[in-house]
Amino acid sequence: MTRKQRRLVLIGGGLSVLAVAVALMLNAFRGSIVFFNSPTDVVENHVEPGTRIRLGGLVKDGSLVRGKGLRVRFVVTDGSRDIPVTYQGLLPDLFREGQGVVAEGALDGSGVFKADTILAKHDATYMPKEVVDALKKSGHWKDDYAQRAALPVSGRIK
Amino acid sequence: MIPELGHYALMLAFGLALIQGTMPIVGTRTKDPVLMSVAAPVALAQFAFVAIAFLALAECYVASDFSVLNVFENSNSQMPLIYRLTSVWGNHEGSMMLWISILAFFGALVAAFGNNLPVVLKANALAVQGWIAAAFELFILMTSNPFLRIPDAPFEGRDLNPILQDPGLAFHPPMLYLGYVGFSIAFSFAIAALLEGRIDAAWARWVRPWVLVAWMCLTLGIAGGSYWSYYELGWGGFWFWDPVENASLMPWLAGTALLHSAVVMEKRAALKVWTILLAILTFSLSLMGTFLVRSGVLTSVHAFAVDPRRGIFILAILVLFIGGALSLYAWRAPLLKQGGLFAPISREGALVFNNLFLTSACATVLVGTLYPLALQALTGEKISVGPPFFDSTFGPLFVPLMLVMPFGPLMGWKRGDLLGAAQRLFAAAMLSAVAIAATFALVRGGPVLAPFGVGVAVFVMMGAATDIAERTMILRLPFRAAARRAIGLPRSAWGTAFAHFGIGVTLLGIIGVTAWGSERIAAIKPGQSLTISHYRVTFDGTFNRAGPNYQDIVGHFTVRRPNGQFVGVLEPSHRTFPARDMAVTEAALMSRGVSQIYVSLGDPNPDGSVAVRLYYKPHVLMIWLGAVFMFFGGGLSLSDRRLRIGAPRPAKTRAALQAAE
Amino acid sequence: MLWIIFALMTAAAIFVVLWPLGRKSAVERGGSDLVVYQDQLEEIGRDRSAGLIGEAEAEAARVEVSRRLLAAADTKAMAKPPASNPALPLRRRRMAAVSALLVLPLVPLGLYLMLGSPNIPGQPAFARIKTPQGNESIDSLISQVEDHLAKNPNDGAGWEVIAPVYMRLGRFDDAAAAWRKALVLNGDTATRESNLGEALVGAANGIVTVEAKQRFERALALDPHEPKARYFIGLADEQDGNRDGAASKWRALLADAPAEAPWVSFVRQSLARVTGEPVPETSGPSAADMAAAANMSDQQRTAMIRGMVAKLSDQLHANGDDVEGWLRLVRAYVVLGDRDKAKDTAADARRALSSHPDELKRIDELVKDLGLEG
Repeated sequence: MTRKQRRLVLIGGGLSVLAVAVALMLNAFRGSIVFFNSPTDVVENHVEPGTRIRLGGLVKDGSLVRGKGLRVRFVVTDGSRDIPVTYQGLLPDLFREGQGVVAEGALDGSGVFKADTILAKHDATYMPKEVVDALKKSGHWKDDYAQRAALPVSGRIK
Repeated sequence: MIPELGHYALMLAFGLALIQGTMPIVGTRTKDPVLMSVAAPVALAQFAFVAIAFLALAECYVASDFSVLNVFENSNSQMPLIYRLTSVWGNHEGSMMLWISILAFFGALVAAFGNNLPVVLKANALAVQGWIAAAFELFILMTSNPFLRIPDAPFEGRDLNPILQDPGLAFHPPMLYLGYVGFSIAFSFAIAALLEGRIDAAWARWVRPWVLVAWMCLTLGIAGGSYWSYYELGWGGFWFWDPVENASLMPWLAGTALLHSAVVMEKRAALKVWTILLAILTFSLSLMGTFLVRSGVLTSVHAFAVDPRRGIFILAILVLFIGGALSLYAWRAPLLKQGGLFAPISREGALVFNNLFLTSACATVLVGTLYPLALQALTGEKISVGPPFFDSTFGPLFVPLMLVMPFGPLMGWKRGDLLGAAQRLFAAAMLSAVAIAATFALVRGGPVLAPFGVGVAVFVMMGAATDIAERTMILRLPFRAAARRAIGLPRSAWGTAFAHFGIGVTLLGIIGVTAWGSERIAAIKPGQSLTISHYRVTFDGTFNRAGPNYQDIVGHFTVRRPNGQFVGVLEPSHRTFPARDMAVTEAALMSRGVSQIYVSLGDPNPDGSVAVRLYYKPHVLMIWLGAVFMFFGGGLSLSDRRLRIGAPRPAKTRAALQAAE
Repeated sequence: MLWIIFALMTAAAIFVVLWPLGRKSAVERGGSDLVVYQDQLEEIGRDRSAGLIGEAEAEAARVEVSRRLLAAADTKAMAKPPASNPALPLRRRRMAAVSALLVLPLVPLGLYLMLGSPNIPGQPAFARIKTPQGNESIDSLISQVEDHLAKNPNDGAGWEVIAPVYMRLGRFDDAAAAWRKALVLNGDTATRESNLGEALVGAANGIVTVEAKQRFERALALDPHEPKARYFIGLADEQDGNRDGAASKWRALLADAPAEAPWVSFVRQSLARVTGEPVPETSGPSAADMAAAANMSDQQRTAMIRGMVAKLSDQLHANGDDVEGWLRLVRAYVVLGDRDKAKDTAADARRALSSHPDELKRIDELVKDLGLEG
């Protein structure tokens, strides 16, 4: 083989691997992407029952009901709309009423969101960015949430 | 006074970095050896001042000086000493300080031990290090300054994020940073070579030990991080395809490719342009990973701080370095001379194959990590790309890589003998087939593909063993002769075999735990038992226990065999930190061989029962054991005499060399 | 002092740059690629004799490496010697030296003037508790007495001198140890027993522990009128939830008290607290804290109060059921002059207590009293 042919083999091999990679990615994008929705999005965009989505918002105060076994029900709200959620399993350490939450799963026929994953957060002051954006959009973002993350002391910072 | 000393030392280091970035370049442009010789002492001094700054910050943490805002926000005088120390890098500002300390440390290493490098290359490389250091020191000073003060110091600090109060944190971030930042040396060498316009086979040998060190640290750092999330986050996963994990995986993939392409470049002077590109890309991915995640652009556990000013500054640095390096590359690379010839079936060919698949895999991870960002910027739609995406792209790309891996070391340079290699791998392939059959026969359940996965892992491990067996001829020569050959074998050959073997071990662990792991989630009352795999776990009750800055509710579990034989006790706990009003779950683990039983506690219910997660994780320890093998293999290669060659040696040896010519 | 160290550091940095520039020629001798290729040749020989590669392969590799070696040697020979005009590099080096002399002091100094806080001393928490600043005389006094006591551990009078000093500095454990020594060496008295009790309370962050209570009881056995012991026994009742017991003990104490006694107003405040009458603003911290606060400079006191306020605020945000705590926190912010914070806190309190209408009313009343509405 000449030098040129060898180069061609190399480039051809490279391109074909790349093509395989791209094909794999496109295929995976079709099947495994999950959209993020706020409760308002879910209602306004008429999300089909059975479509996997991520639902983000605040856990409505007083809505958490613990059932038999590890079944829980609660309501996710963005201030404008509420979506009831059911989940079976252990809730993350930082799951609280009035705090942000992201649940992954799908709506069932009756408009209840069946979550199979509740995303854990790792800090009481940390609110998922998507949730912040969604709350801001619906006008229910309070600076209070940001302040909670800020200093508790009135130390002047030079 | 200590914090102010640290602050000023950091500023002085910035001044020195500016000098380090300019004077040696002027020297190499004007061929003035004196100006070039400024580089090494300034790099050492820059490290000294950065180290002073870092130690000053550490002292503020140890002494709980809450007049330092950063200490106040992230520490607490009640914390044990070890966590007061590790909280130095448990926050954005402090982790940046660690980052530049390691950067300056590597610069100092090159300055002190790079005597085997040509003067011009060394001066240029140190200058590039100077630019990086200057950029990040300015970034710290202007947007992430850990030395800002509070005039009226509060009496108590706000405590470190409890999830970070763990011994794993003492080790995992520094290791990871050693890896990330270690690749800066390869980057600097690449830029230096492009500036000089001359790249040859010797360059690869000079850069290889640095790449190797970085790769070893990154391997261990990733493994450490994975183990940390496995036991600390409480749901027993070892890898989540979280953006920050991807950020560490991408440089690892690119760095692994670089490690292999540098071998080709050193041996055959081929793939020069590609190797330079990989060196630039690897560090660019390190930069992008560390900073995109840290700046809060990507949502993640590790997103410490969300501050638009920081984001913009970081973006500017990324554009400057990555864009600048790639432009320089585009301009200079075509001028480089062509390298040696080789057939597609050869050691080089196998290494090119490795590079192709590693970089493609790296590209899929990159796309999966950045696509949500791009989509949101373009259409405003928010999506998440989760494990299914990576499983169905990364996995298929890794399988051929695994299958070809054992062939590489068995093939000759230039023109390999595929048939011969295949014959020599016959035993390994047979063993792998036996393993597949045995798995099918003995193990129930799990995905159908899993036994084949086991087969691949066994093939990889046995392939590595075959390589050593072939080289030592242990099956053909008497043992004594083979042992002599084994000792005479270059250490890098041993290193390759160990690292490849480690990949197989890790793969076996991943397959074992994902295919045959079992899980029980239930609410149980004291006295009740759960059965998992071949163990019975009884919940005996809970009790309270006070820690230095937390309160534990501890669950007591007894593990027995089904026949009642006592195996051990597990004590997971629910840990509350009053200073931050936070609770974390502390899982309890019990190792049985390389498998583990894993328990974590959930919330207590009003009826007296407690939610419990119980897992059986078969072979899980092999995942990290494999990484240890890889690290050890890297260490063996690093100790190979060839990598030290070129260092100034006693005149006698040099004379002997000349005589041998 | 700080600036002298800065100057020294800067000088060291400048020296590092000027020192290599001052040399006539570079002493640094770099490596060369020739060495690498020579070693590669050697290695081929080694591999060949070890039988790792065949003769043909070895020969081909040898040819290839030799070619590289020759090329490298050529490049080296062709490389031009450094510029022959010595004046040119010399001027450049001088320029470099001058730029270092300018950059190194000016860049850090400029940054420091912009960002640094040279006037704030370091305040490590541990050192701060032990030695408040500005009290060098007390410090030296203490160390003198400590030295003396280390040599003469049986000097009861010495222990009695140092114990109250430890109390004032907040070194309650040391104070307790000193009072114990004094008790053993100088004999039991009601005052000594109750002082030891007070130190134990201080060490337990204001909680009257079992041991402390025993001390106070012993003091009262020795002298039923010992006021300190009577106060703390009452406090123990309050902490056990027996507010009535505390109130009656303190009323009795006040009835017996000489009018000019300095602690009268303090006991009155405590009494007001347990009887639910309006709480005086300074209540909250333990007596020991207050004693320590009395000895502080204004600035230190503010810092201490702020620290306590922050702690209280954290506690309340963690567990919002404590209406007394909320009332105290709102008042504290008003005292500190931070009315916005006070308003926010009141709002937080309302949210936290939303299910308790009675307590909400108390918050609302306080807000009205302090003029915080609107």
